[in-house]
Amino acid sequence: MSKFNNFRSKLADELEIPNNALSDNFELRMHGNKKVIIENHLGLTVYDDDMVSIKTNDQYITIKGSKFKIEEINNYKVIVKGNIKEIIFSMKE
Amino acid sequence: MLIFKLMYLIRGYVVIRSDNKNSEKLLNILRRRNITLWDVEKKGKGIKFKLSYEDYIKNFELINEIVKPVSKKGFLLKLNKVKFRKGFSIGVLILIISLYLLTSMIWDVEVVGTNQSNTNKVLALLEENQIKIPVSISRIKAKQLETLIYNNFEYKFVEVFVEGSKLIIFVREKEAAPTEVKSNEPSSIISVKNAIINKVIAKSGQPVVKEGDVVYEGQTLIMGIVKNKNSDEFMMVPSDGIIYGKTYYNFEMKEEKIRSVNVSTNKSKSVYYLKINGKSIKIIGDKDPYEYYDYRESVIKVPILSNITDISILIGAYYEEEIKEIEIDKSTAQNKMKVAMYDELLERCDDDSRILKSNINFSEDDEFYYLIAQIEVIEDIGEKIRIFPIEEQTEENMEG
Repeated sequence: MSKFNNFRSKLADELEIPNNALSDNFELRMHGNKKVIIENHLGLTVYDDDMVSIKTNDQYITIKGSKFKIEEINNYKVIVKGNIKEIIFSMKE
Repeated sequence: MLIFKLMYLIRGYVVIRSDNKNSEKLLNILRRRNITLWDVEKKGKGIKFKLSYEDYIKNFELINEIVKPVSKKGFLLKLNKVKFRKGFSIGVLILIISLYLLTSMIWDVEVVGTNQSNTNKVLALLEENQIKIPVSISRIKAKQLETLIYNNFEYKFVEVFVEGSKLIIFVREKEAAPTEVKSNEPSSIISVKNAIINKVIAKSGQPVVKEGDVVYEGQTLIMGIVKNKNSDEFMMVPSDGIIYGKTYYNFEMKEEKIRSVNVSTNKSKSVYYLKINGKSIKIIGDKDPYEYYDYRESVIKVPILSNITDISILIGAYYEEEIKEIEIDKSTAQNKMKVAMYDELLERCDDDSRILKSNINFSEDDEFYYLIAQIEVIEDIGEKIRIFPIEEQTEENMEG
């Protein structure tokens, strides 16, 4: 996370406003282990039946499981459905 | 998501299939152009997804360069196709308008309850009042028509109603009034019942019975032929008077001690029939599902179809019943028989009759309660009948 982005994130916390309103951080929500909603993403890097990898500002989010289906994808939001077993966050090199 | 999909089902969407191995790249290109994709699925090596018809048209060249659409779906797209089929659309429109017109007109008038000549008169009256077939249903004012027919004909009862595309006029003709003997016509008074004369009040005519006489049905009580005081000739006069007679009515009635009554069990089963031209074809359900039942039928008319054709749905409902035996107590049975007896007596007597004496005996055996009664009544037993002079036999008649 860049220093400026880090500062914006902290400022958002102090002001008690949504973090993604000021920073470039992604927001991730889960509905059980069946659905993942990721907002503020930068696109797909891998899409397969058992793995989906999503690029964000600072990290890659890799979702592992089975029967994956992308319920909706647009410039801002991606909704992944399926049997989720694992979510891995890895920093960009 | 359901609302989102429903919205695009109406507005239209395109299903796209791509066999490109690098499907992620394709999704990212479309995403960057601010195109929303949904139902992205892996199909073999490639992918299948949906996008809105608007986005497809906006990015037509790009999409067609990379992939080929599989199908276009949605209500508005179908509607656009129909736009091009002008003849078909006009045909459908004409059909709908014709159906509406046909079902909103009266095409036949049926007069129920009278003979053909009266029917023709009613139809002629309708034509005189600008009701000519075919006529719009909205022009038919049932109450006004009823009043019109009622005022122009001597009907006891008139009802007008519209059934489908038929105007039904239901009439009931007045019963012919019994012929009454005019007061100035020669008449006699005869007895209508077997009786013992109680009182004779003769206003005109010659009474031929006196108090205490036993008279039989049809016997003359006051004769309309009287002797002229000034000559020996007889002359015919209208008779008038009241003759009260004692009449006796005997009654024998019986009432069961134990009676079988049908009681509903609140269970019911229905059977459905398709009724075509008076014939019924069973669709669902069984006939006679219970040993004892009450059967009721109702007809449901199919909108539009029943107006054009004679097709309707008949629903038969079987309500299960069981037979229960109830015991009737003595006083209830006696009261019931007494009421029935007096009802019957009222039917057989005039309104101004008076009961003089009543002798009612009750008895019973194992099965029945019995009532044996004799009622003595005083009532007017006279009835006026017209009398005619006997024609003298002429020579011409004799020869004939």
